[in-house]
Amino acid sequence: MPSTLAAVELNSYLPIFIILLMAVTFAVANVAGSLLIGPQRKGGNKGIAYESGMNPVGTARKRFNVRFYLIAMVFLVFDVEIIFLYPWAATFPNIDPGSPDSLVWLGRILFFLFTTVVAYVYGFRKGVFRFD
Amino acid sequence: MELVLLILVPLAFAILIALRPAQEAKFHAVIGTLLAAGIGVNALGRFDWGTPATMQLSAAWDWLPTLGLRLSVGVDSVSLMLIALTLLLGPICVFCSFTAIQEKERTYYGWLLVLQAAMTGVFASRDIVLFYTCFEFTLVPMYVLISLFGSTNRKAAATKFFLYTFTGSVITLAGLVYIAWFNATQLDSIGIQSAGRWTFDIAALEAAAQAMPANVQGWLLLAMMCGFAIKIPLFPVHTWLPLAHTEAPTAGSVVLAGVLLKLGTYGMFRFVLPFLPAAVLEYAPIIATLSIIGILYGGLICWVQTDVKKLVAYSSVAHLGFCILGLAALNTVGITGSILYMINHGLSTGALFLLIGMVYERYHTRSMKELGGLACKMPVWATFMVFFTMASVGLPGLNGFISEFMCLMGAFQAGDKWGSLPGGTGGDLGFWYALIAGLGMIIAAMYLLYMVGRVVWGPLVLPAGHDDHGHDGGGSHGPLPTDLCAREIFVLLPLAVLCIALGLFPKPVIKALEPAVNNVVETINATGKRPDAASGVKAMNDLPGLPSSADVRHVSDADVSVASSSPTVQWGGALSGGDK
Amino acid sequence: MSEKLALLVPEIIVFLTTCIVMVVGLSPNLAVRRSCGLLSASGLFIAAILAINGPAGDGLLPGLTPYIKAVIALIGVLLVMLVAGTVDREEDARVSRGGVFNALRTNRAEFYSFILFSLTGAMLCASASDLIWLFLALELTSLPTYVLVTMSTRGTRSQEAGVKYFFLGALGAAVFLYGFALIYGGTGSTKFVDIASIIAQQGINQITLAGMILAIIGVSFKIAAVPMHFYTADVYQGAASPVTAFLAFVPKTAGFVSLILLLALVGWDHGTDKVSVGHTLPSQLRLLLWVMAALTMTIGNVLAVVQSSPKRVLAYSSIAHSGYMLVGLIAGPGDYGAGFAHNGIAAVLFYLAAYGLMNVGAFAALAGLERRGRDGRPVEIDSFDDLRGLCAGRPLLGWTLVVCSLSLLGLPPLLGFFSKLPLFTSGIASGEIVLVIVMGINSAIAAFYYLRFAAVAMLEDPSDGPKPLAAPFPARAMSGLVALVLVISLSFFGDALMKASRNAAVVEGSGVRAVPASPSPGHKAGDRHDAASPAAAPAQRVGA
Repeated sequence: MPSTLAAVELNSYLPIFIILLMAVTFAVANVAGSLLIGPQRKGGNKGIAYESGMNPVGTARKRFNVRFYLIAMVFLVFDVEIIFLYPWAATFPNIDPGSPDSLVWLGRILFFLFTTVVAYVYGFRKGVFRFD
Repeated sequence: MELVLLILVPLAFAILIALRPAQEAKFHAVIGTLLAAGIGVNALGRFDWGTPATMQLSAAWDWLPTLGLRLSVGVDSVSLMLIALTLLLGPICVFCSFTAIQEKERTYYGWLLVLQAAMTGVFASRDIVLFYTCFEFTLVPMYVLISLFGSTNRKAAATKFFLYTFTGSVITLAGLVYIAWFNATQLDSIGIQSAGRWTFDIAALEAAAQAMPANVQGWLLLAMMCGFAIKIPLFPVHTWLPLAHTEAPTAGSVVLAGVLLKLGTYGMFRFVLPFLPAAVLEYAPIIATLSIIGILYGGLICWVQTDVKKLVAYSSVAHLGFCILGLAALNTVGITGSILYMINHGLSTGALFLLIGMVYERYHTRSMKELGGLACKMPVWATFMVFFTMASVGLPGLNGFISEFMCLMGAFQAGDKWGSLPGGTGGDLGFWYALIAGLGMIIAAMYLLYMVGRVVWGPLVLPAGHDDHGHDGGGSHGPLPTDLCAREIFVLLPLAVLCIALGLFPKPVIKALEPAVNNVVETINATGKRPDAASGVKAMNDLPGLPSSADVRHVSDADVSVASSSPTVQWGGALSGGDK
Repeated sequence: MSEKLALLVPEIIVFLTTCIVMVVGLSPNLAVRRSCGLLSASGLFIAAILAINGPAGDGLLPGLTPYIKAVIALIGVLLVMLVAGTVDREEDARVSRGGVFNALRTNRAEFYSFILFSLTGAMLCASASDLIWLFLALELTSLPTYVLVTMSTRGTRSQEAGVKYFFLGALGAAVFLYGFALIYGGTGSTKFVDIASIIAQQGINQITLAGMILAIIGVSFKIAAVPMHFYTADVYQGAASPVTAFLAFVPKTAGFVSLILLLALVGWDHGTDKVSVGHTLPSQLRLLLWVMAALTMTIGNVLAVVQSSPKRVLAYSSIAHSGYMLVGLIAGPGDYGAGFAHNGIAAVLFYLAAYGLMNVGAFAALAGLERRGRDGRPVEIDSFDDLRGLCAGRPLLGWTLVVCSLSLLGLPPLLGFFSKLPLFTSGIASGEIVLVIVMGINSAIAAFYYLRFAAVAMLEDPSDGPKPLAAPFPARAMSGLVALVLVISLSFFGDALMKASRNAAVVEGSGVRAVPASPSPGHKAGDRHDAASPAAAPAQRVGA
């Protein structure tokens, strides 16, 4: 039986508090440190986007073709797929090939891949991959 | 089976009317109502009048059995009489509308038939949900009839009618469901084996409801009266009625006065009295007081009306007051009189509405200021008008008298003083109740005779444009002659005949009603004896000199000399004998 | 594992249909594209048949799973018929005039697949046996509806409605997710069976109680109940009528199923004068639900009375109907062995099915009509004037509207009455007489505006000026016709549905419940069945 939250004592939260404290200290200390010991120089060159790189051309608020978003979405689909595929692939060899479970596991990932294929076909038909 | 046919035949013809072209609507409506009336006559013949108190012609089918519903019908003499009234008024309503309704005939006749089916269903049902279904479903046809075919203010009237009645009856439903729940599970708490399953059968629930504690019965009385009192209508909740009556088309008014109002009193008779005897005993004086206020208030308002139809509408409030007074008397004579009154009121007031409708069709006004001395223009109409007014006033020899008298008689006998005398039944009403209610008869005579005096007699007054009446058979009268045509006389005659018949020879009807009423009275008396249920209620059988109700029943059939304890029989006999 | 999979066969069917529709809807061939609706409807129909014949669930209410799935799928068929032609109308016209098909300008694939996704989510709710599952299913129900609202018309109003719906929906989801988290925190499990047995053994602690309250309030967004009802009118009005019908049924059903499952964790009170079987609904929850029910029905009805747009009226009335159904939740499943009339859960389940039908019918009449806008484009009708004289002009739509609105009003002998009656009986049986009276009075208030629908369509003459045209989609009128026939016929032959809803509402034990309650001094009528025959109790539970 898992213990209920009501039964948990408050000092079990201590590690969280310590981590919080560390995070805040680290952040404050870095900002304060750079303010205190860093060199303070000002000037026109310090203000540009790429201090030691090329000179910026035009405005940053440029409109992108909507297809870039579509590509980003498609990328996400396959990216997420890989995230799911990896743990499955890492676990699958450990399953006894003779057990009925193995078929179920295979079926699951095939079903998952099937949905990805559907997403791919959908994207294809919608014309996501067409650049003209 | 007859009963089911009585519901289904009008429905079937309503559908037929909806499907066929408008020219045929009239024809199908006539056939439908006459066929239903024929089946009704057959039912009257098949009914065993030897045992009028038992439910007969019964039939039942399962209907959503999971919820415990059954399509169950059956009638005793009271239900059958009221069904007969409904079936009689059906064709009359159709015939009287031939000229008045010229457009949307399909809608009109179709809904009229649906209305008839629903009203028949109310009286025939032996299952509370079926009763409630029909009770509520009368609203839709009536709503349509008023709001499509009424006069100027019809929409407001129809909406008010619908909302008033619907609101009340939902509360009534809650009360009825409570009883069903009590029957299903709660009887154990008072030491009776409960059914364990839900049923809405009236007989089963009646037994359960009677066993309830008095305070619960009191609440249920309130809940049930919410619906029934509005429908009747009882004094403080009567305001929808004059409006609805005035705005409704003639046939609508006839049905409204003739049958729809009786759904409330019938509900009281069928549900309130036998279901909640302890509460009824306790609160009878309050109900009686309200009914008397209604009698007087309705009468006084009638007196100042100039609209003839409104006058008759308010007179319904007064007349139905007598009905409730009779029910609240809780003795055989009072309740029998009340039921008889339901029928008589349907006949005479229905006829009055018909007559007013006929004048309205000719002169398009109902104002007493614009109408007068019609006797010289329309002698036949005037004859009927005077006749039915007299019936409504309660002229001895006509039907109104006997029933009004019995209601008052019941109220008299339900008093303490009278209770100790022979023929008294004991109760909380008595001399003063009857006396004050009796004033209502005088007021009724005044306003109705005043109205007849202005409209029928006196100098001839016609609305502007009708002074020179030189367009017989044409003009604004349409196809109507100056006086009544044969169709209109044919519509009025059966009502007149019945008025005379019931006035002169009411005995068979009373005799048929009495056993059914006796059952109810016995129930009330028996519960009055229950020490637990009768707290705060006078145990009527403690009163000296009162024969027990069981005695009354046996004696009244056998021995006329002891019939003083059963005044109903005495009166019915005396009147019928005297007039022979 | 495979049992759980067998349980999900209907959802899988719907999902596969979704996949097919998603691809088919983008076909370059117009005729193929147009088969989306038919495909969706057939998929749902097959899923419904599989659900009816499928296995019972493994949660606390095993019968609930197949029943709700079948109801959702069958009414889903009607809804799919109703949404015919909502999107892509202009695009189709352009293509059939010889224009070039452009996949980016068509929405049909997305529209139908989102509808099917949402239905899948609602069906998954019924299979839930775990808090996380329930959350995911609820969100799967809701997320597509936000998009559906936005894409349903081309106007800015539906975009506004969609954004509103999304943000408020996210708020609702946050609230009930927080509630779920607290329930987990208070009991240490997300599995319904575990939670129920822990609560049954140890009683409910404050954290779990707070979690339950938050969960109920959050889910009240889905059922459009007070205090999360305020979006309803704007969103319902902003969406196209068919989508509004969808919103009024699918998220509501999912929400009520979730509430039933959540409340089953803590049990139900069975009235004051009886010994309760199992554990009881904590008084705080009961009070919360009581107040929610009373406020929901009253606010919904009163606000509906003052509206002038038919869709807003139906939106507010949909709030009121949620209020009625909450009465059934308070009443709970009643005692073992007691019949349908005692069982508030069965009443709610029956009501959901009935409401779905009446709702489709009422909206079919609105969706079956349209006007030409100033630019010649078809626009929805949005006033009572457009409904005037409908029975004379278009009898099918007119009578559908009249019958369905009278049925929604609860006028016997229509289905609405026979679905309200069990709520009455179960409410009274659980001792909530005041609430039942409130419900009765509310039914009377509802008469104001439902009567208006009936009167306008049936009694009034058509208004002068251009009359509304029939929308050129016979499927919409067909769905109305089916609803009309069912609303009338089920009130006479609906016993099978009642039986099914009763069997669906049997609460399986959390361990404690299977043991008959020990006789106590107050031991009276209620648990007679259990106390008298403990051995027979399980059989009754299944068969009663």
